[in-house]
Formats: sequence, C-alpha cells, structure tokens
Amino acid sequence: MRKLLDFIYDAAAWLAALAMVGVLLMVLLSIVSRQLQFHVAGTDAYAGYAMAAAGFLALAHTLKRNEHIRVTLILARLQGGARRGLEIWALTAAVLLAALFAFYSVRLAVVSYQLNDVSTSNDATPLWIPQLAMAIGTLVLLLAFVDEWVQELRGRRVVAENEEALHNE
Amino acid sequence: MNDVVITTLLIVSLFALLASGVWIGLTLAGVAWIGMQLFSSRPAGDAMAVTVWGSASSWTLTALPLFIWMGEILFRTKLSESMFRGLAPWVSRLPGRLLHTNVIGCTIFAAVSGSSAATCATIGKMTLPELGRRGYPEDITIGSLAGAGTLGLLIPPSIIMIVYGVTADVSIARLFVAGILPGILLAALFSGYLGVWSALNRGRVPPPDAPMSLRERLHESRHLIPVVLLIGAVLGSIYSGFATATEAAAVGVVGSLVLSAAQRSLSWATFKESLLGATRLYCMIALILAGAAFLTLAMGYIGLPRHLAEFVSSLGLSPFMLVIALSIFYIILGCFLDGISMVVLTMGVILPTVTAAKIDLIWFGIFIVIVVEMAQITPPVGFNLFVLQGMTGKEITWIARVTMPFFFLMCGMVLLLWWFPGIAVWLPSKM
Amino acid sequence: QTKWDLPAAYPASNFHTENLEQFAKDVDKATGGKLKITVHANASLFKAPEIKRAVQGGQAQIGEILLVNFQNEWQIFGADGIPFLADSYDAAYKLWRAQKPLLEKKLGEQGMMVLYAVAWPPQGIYTKKTLSSAADMKGLKWRAYSPATARIAELVGAQPVTVQAAELSQAMATGVIDSYMSSGSTGYDTKTYEHIKNWYDTQAWLPKNAVIVNRAAFNALDKATQDALLKAGAEAETRGWAASKKANAETLDKLKANGMQILTPPPGLKADMQKVGDTMLKEWLEKAGPEGQQLVDSYKKM
Ligand code: NA
Ligand code: NA
Repeated sequence: MRKLLDFIYDAAAWLAALAMVGVLLMVLLSIVSRQLQFHVAGTDAYAGYAMAAAGFLALAHTLKRNEHIRVTLILARLQGGARRGLEIWALTAAVLLAALFAFYSVRLAVVSYQLNDVSTSNDATPLWIPQLAMAIGTLVLLLAFVDEWVQELRGRRVVAENEEALHNE
Repeated sequence: MNDVVITTLLIVSLFALLASGVWIGLTLAGVAWIGMQLFSSRPAGDAMAVTVWGSASSWTLTALPLFIWMGEILFRTKLSESMFRGLAPWVSRLPGRLLHTNVIGCTIFAAVSGSSAATCATIGKMTLPELGRRGYPEDITIGSLAGAGTLGLLIPPSIIMIVYGVTADVSIARLFVAGILPGILLAALFSGYLGVWSALNRGRVPPPDAPMSLRERLHESRHLIPVVLLIGAVLGSIYSGFATATEAAAVGVVGSLVLSAAQRSLSWATFKESLLGATRLYCMIALILAGAAFLTLAMGYIGLPRHLAEFVSSLGLSPFMLVIALSIFYIILGCFLDGISMVVLTMGVILPTVTAAKIDLIWFGIFIVIVVEMAQITPPVGFNLFVLQGMTGKEITWIARVTMPFFFLMCGMVLLLWWFPGIAVWLPSKM
Repeated sequence: QTKWDLPAAYPASNFHTENLEQFAKDVDKATGGKLKITVHANASLFKAPEIKRAVQGGQAQIGEILLVNFQNEWQIFGADGIPFLADSYDAAYKLWRAQKPLLEKKLGEQGMMVLYAVAWPPQGIYTKKTLSSAADMKGLKWRAYSPATARIAELVGAQPVTVQAAELSQAMATGVIDSYMSSGSTGYDTKTYEHIKNWYDTQAWLPKNAVIVNRAAFNALDKATQDALLKAGAEAETRGWAASKKANAETLDKLKANGMQILTPPPGLKADMQKVGDTMLKEWLEKAGPEGQQLVDSYKKM
C-alpha cells in the first residue's frame, strides 16, 4: 500500500516535470517559428496548459517533501498532546479543503465536457482535456493529505526534512 | 451585512487558519470559501474552479516557472561562485561588501523579468548559498533579497505596469520609462541602508579578501563574463525583437543550460534535480496563487475592496492627504491580496478620484507600483515572503521581521516621490 | 431586492462599459431598486473567455461577451468576424438582425438569453509600410490573435505572429510585429501610433459585444422587473450603437492628432481584400453548414 501511494505521488510529479519541459518547448517553438517563418497555432495556449499541469500534478509530491509552506510558529512551540491535537486539526482542515478543491476541479472538467467548452483562442482545444491535469492533480493531493492524516492519527507520521533549507545554512 | 463585521470575521478566520498551521494556499481558499458562503448568495465551488483554472493556465504567468527553473539550473553551476569572485574585489571597500550583491543582482535581473517572485527566486538561488558560505549574516541577506526582489515590478518590463496602463489608459511605454529612475533610486536607497547597517554592525560583516591592484581586479573580473553573457543574451533577445518579455524566460533557461554544459556541470542527474526542484518550487507558489485567485474572486463578489475604495474617495481629501490615505489603504489591502488583484479590484473607483485631484496618472502609476511592491513583503500574504520561506525553510514571521527595514525604505520612497515628482515624470516627458 | 453581478472584460473608460453602467442605473431606477446590477469591469470578476460559462453556470446572472470569441464552439458566433461580409455600421446592424434569431435559439438551448448587442468600431489594418495591394503584405509580421486574423495572414502570405494583448505595445516597439488588424479605438487604447503610422480604414468587419442573461435568473424575476430589464436592454442597444459610432469618429481624430495616417485602401488592396473575404466566407459556410447559409441568405435579403 505504502509503495503504491508513493508510486502515485512520484508518477504524478514526473508528469508535472514533463509538463514543465512542455512549457519551455512551447515558448521556444513560438520564438523559433517566428524566426523561421512558419506558424504553429496556439503555442501560447499550450504553454499555459502545460504550466497548469506542472503546478497541479506536482502538488502531492511537493507536500510529501514538506515543501508546501505553512506557519509552524505555534506548532513548533507546543509539545506532546497539544502539538498532536493542533497537527490533527490542521490536517483535518487541509483534508476538507483539499476535498473541496478536488471535487470542484473534477466537476470543472466534467462540466466542460458536457457543455462542450472550447478554448476561445487559436488552438480551439476542448478544455476538459487540459483540465484533466487539474482534476487528477487535486485528487492526488487529496489522497496525500488523507494519507498524512491517517498516519498522524496512527502516530506514524514522519515529516520530511525540508532539503532546500540545508543549502542555505 | 455590515462591512466591518465581514472584514473582522474574514481576518479572524485568516489568522486562525494560518496560525494553526494550515497550509497557506489552502488557508486562502478556505477564507474565500467562508466569505462567499456567508456573505454572497453565489455558489462558491464552480466559480472557484473556473477562476483557479483561468489563473493557473494563463499565458502571462509562464515566465514565472521558467525563471524559477533558470535559477535552479544556475544554482547547480559554478556561475554564482565565479560571479562572486569577479565582484568581490570591486565591492571590498564598500561598507557591507558582498551584501550589495542581492541589490545589484535584483536590479539587473529586474530589467529581464517582470515579476517580483521570479526575481527573488532566481537571484536568491545564486546569492543566498554563496553569501552564507562566506559568513554573511542570514537576517540581513534574506531581508535585502526580499526587499530588492520587488524591484522586478518597478524596473521595466513589469506585469503590474501593463495591468495599470491598460486600466488607467496610460501609455505603457511611458510607464516603463517612468519606472527606471525610481527603480534605480530605490535600489540606491537599499544599498545605502546596507552600508549604514554594516557601519553599525562592523563585527557581523566578514573581513575583505587581501587588497588587489587594479590590474589584478580587472583580471579577476573575467569571472563575470559568463553572467554578463547570460544576462546580455536574455536582455538582448527582448530589445532586438527576437523574443517578447515573457518568452525571454525561455531564452534564459536555454542560456543557463548552455552555460552549465560549458562549465561541465550539466549531467543527467543535475538536469533532473533542477527540473524537479523547479517543479516543486513552482508548485508551492501555484497552490498559493490558486488560493489567492479564489480569494480575489470572493472579494470581487463581496465588494469589500470596492467599498473601502469608495470610502477613501468619499472623504474629499486634499491631494497630499489623498496620497497618504491611499498609501495606508493599499498597505492594508496589500497585507491580504496580491498586487494585481489590488489594482484590478480598486482602480475603477480610485481613478476618478485621482483624476479629480489632478494627480498625474503616470506619477500615480509609479506610486501604485511601489505600494504593490510593499504588498509583496507584508505578512500574512506576501509573495516574496512565501518564496523565501520555500527556499530557506525559515518562519514567515522571521522573514517578515528581517524585511521590515526595506518596507520602511519603500514608505520613504513614496514620500520622496511626492516631494520630487520629477523622479517619475521627468524621463517620460522627454519621450 | 435581487442582486445581480455583471462581469465585463473591458476597462471602465471603454464606451461598452460606460453603456453597461448606464444600463444598470436605468434598471435600478425603472424597478425602484428591486433589481440591482453590479458591473464588474476590467475582467475583475471573470476574464473574457470565462464570462459566457459563468453566466451559463449561474455564477453570474448576466454578463458581456465578445461574440467572435466563441466561434470555436459554434460558427454562428463568429459571423460578425467574417471580413467584408458586413463592412459598415448599417450592414453590421442588418447582420445582427439576421444573426439574432439563431443566437437566441442556441443560447436558449444553453439556458441563456441574449439581451442586446453593440458593435465595436470597424476593423482596419495597422502597418508600418504602405500598401497598394495584397502583394505588399507578403512577409509582414502580422499579429494573429484570432482564427480569422491568422487565416487572413495565411491568405495574403504574411507571417502570423502570436503576441498577447499585454505585450502588444512592446512587440511593436521591438519589431516582433509590424502590422495587425483592429479598430481605431484599439489602436488608440494600445498607443499603436507610437510605433506604427498607417491605418487602412478597410472597414473589414464590426465585431459585437453581446449582453447575455441566465434564463433561470431571468425567470425568477417578477413580470414587471422582467419588462423593465428588457426595456432598459433595448435602450442600451440603441444608445450603444450611437456611442460606438461616436467613439469611432473621436478615436480616429485622436489617432490623426497623434500622427497616424488614416488611409482609404487603394483600389488594388480593396479588390484583393475582397477576394480574401470571399474565400473566408466560403470556408466559413462549409464549417457553419445550413445554419450559416440561412444566416447569410436572410442577411443578404435585408
Ligand atoms: Na522588471
Ligand atoms: Na502582503
């Protein structure tokens, strides 16, 4: 189970990284096409979709690496039961908000599909396709928060050391 | 429902959620949700999804992830090390020495990037580890980075100026030109402060390297060639019409990859690390941006910023008092909203008042950019603070505290601008 | 008391937005404050492409959209973007009368209704070099911001370039583009005259903004309020078309004052552009099918 969950977070993160490369390629394509006098319609829109995918699909992985920021001023000063209580409250609130976010993101893609919502710019992409990245990314984030919540309740939650912090000390 | 009650409730819930350790992006979404459910009859969820999607996939933002990636690549090269070697002999006699690198770096990078978060992240990736290694104290290096990063907005190109220019029907080209002098002046104020600080805290600045002759210094400057080439390529691509200001970020990424290959620090492992590192840092910012977009929408529905702006407009103040009142108004608003939302949500009400007070709209544009810069570094919602928390792992309250002097310098800048309006309007009048 | 939100994409100083504000005031007055409409200008609530969906989904009860924006979804939305089909205010108004029944049907199926529509000023060609025929347009770096403007570039052999509105000014300054097609007012708003000195008044097409209403929200109003809304809408339409003509005349004067040459297209250019228009109409009819043919037939009969 642990392995499967970690695989899901990492797979989504790799897709996000791929999307990041996609942003670069799309912007480069728009520069190069102008220099070499050919036209690819909708590079700007595709760059936007890729950027959205990069942001949403990496949400869970970033959480697991403890790189989503929060204010831990009070948490850090508390000990034992009080600390655990506050942590459970924060995780509960996060699970609820992530659920809200995931539910409406899925609904966004579904409604786009039903309404046949099409991009208004040159690319004419049916919007539910790029919106899938948002739906999947927020679902995986919800999964990751539930995962953290369950582990905290069982007293097994290990918070990753923020690696970035080490570089600057 | 009374505006005072709404405001109190929203602020209380914002602080309660933040203080209890709920992740920042989710907190903003939560506050927006509470606001919409309680104070507007509109269905919140679908509107949230549409807006979040719109802002997350908006082309105007694409430069941000690319510049972040550029920073991650450069961080893994020897570029910052060689840049510091090249700069060190030149600044060794200045009080503060290499502390000025943040200000210098941000000022130059601001000419490339239109966003404050991108400036802060890209320059910080290069300067923070290097300054730390050389023994410069953390508080002043992080504070000066947060402050100087905001120059990305004042020195052209600038996203916020484009938004203001379109809203206020002012020439964007003139606004860009108007930002140059105030940008340099503000950078000089920051540097001056760093000098004074170092004079007062002699023990905290590491000693200079052995003095060098001019010849030796010039020779050491060869280490600056890579960074000059890189910045030259990015700037050159914009001003030669090779790329637009947004596309220049992609030129920056390719340039950094080439540089890193030339220095033999490019391998599959470093490429992968830089890519994943950039994806995570961008993702962290994206979650907050999503929450902020929803909060802006909720504010639009509830109408709070509009009502506040109407209140300020209704006071019938003299021009000077109006500028003071607007400064306070935007500083307060800036604690909770990001810069572009502030402008979009209030300009409709504020502009007629400003025009009636016969305040020059170019001047006012520069004023707006400076108050928006302040918003980047005021807690609880300040994007430069978020970027730096993500990069250093420090508490946001600590970062906000060490950045405070730079906030006051910007307040001083607003007063300077009022007494010497020429700082902003002289250059564009020569166009 | 009922409160409606009206998202609009253009700045408060734009004549469309001023018209909307007046419309909201008229409704307020006529209903004795029973229906309050708040105009959220400048895309402060929803951005231009999101507004139609927001009205459809009930996130806003009423909104203003640029019809041609939605051509990808349904070709008839783009009828007022076909070059030289309707090339004057009178022709554009006729086209609107032909287009309206089809729009009413389509929007009706989507749970919406159309209240009124107002044309933008006619579109012309901004270019750094002077043109005597379409052959001169070969190799121009042409801003393509919609399917139609991209197609025109292809047909005349210009290089279509994607540049966002936000970067238009800078793109002209640095030579990323040297030509584009738009109205006099867009050229004035974006300070095009700082970089480009020729505008060919081709009157190619007059795109329209339409104000659309969520049907369920409309049905929830009492009869008197509904009537007041419809009446205020009809008045806004008349007022809007007049304002558009006035804004067009004024901006052309302002453009001239800022050094822009307002040029009548020479016969060669005119004939070539007419050919481009014919090709594009044919292509549009193929995509739009019988509905499109019906629209063009009823328009030509007027
Ligand atoms: Na800048
Ligand atoms: Na702030």
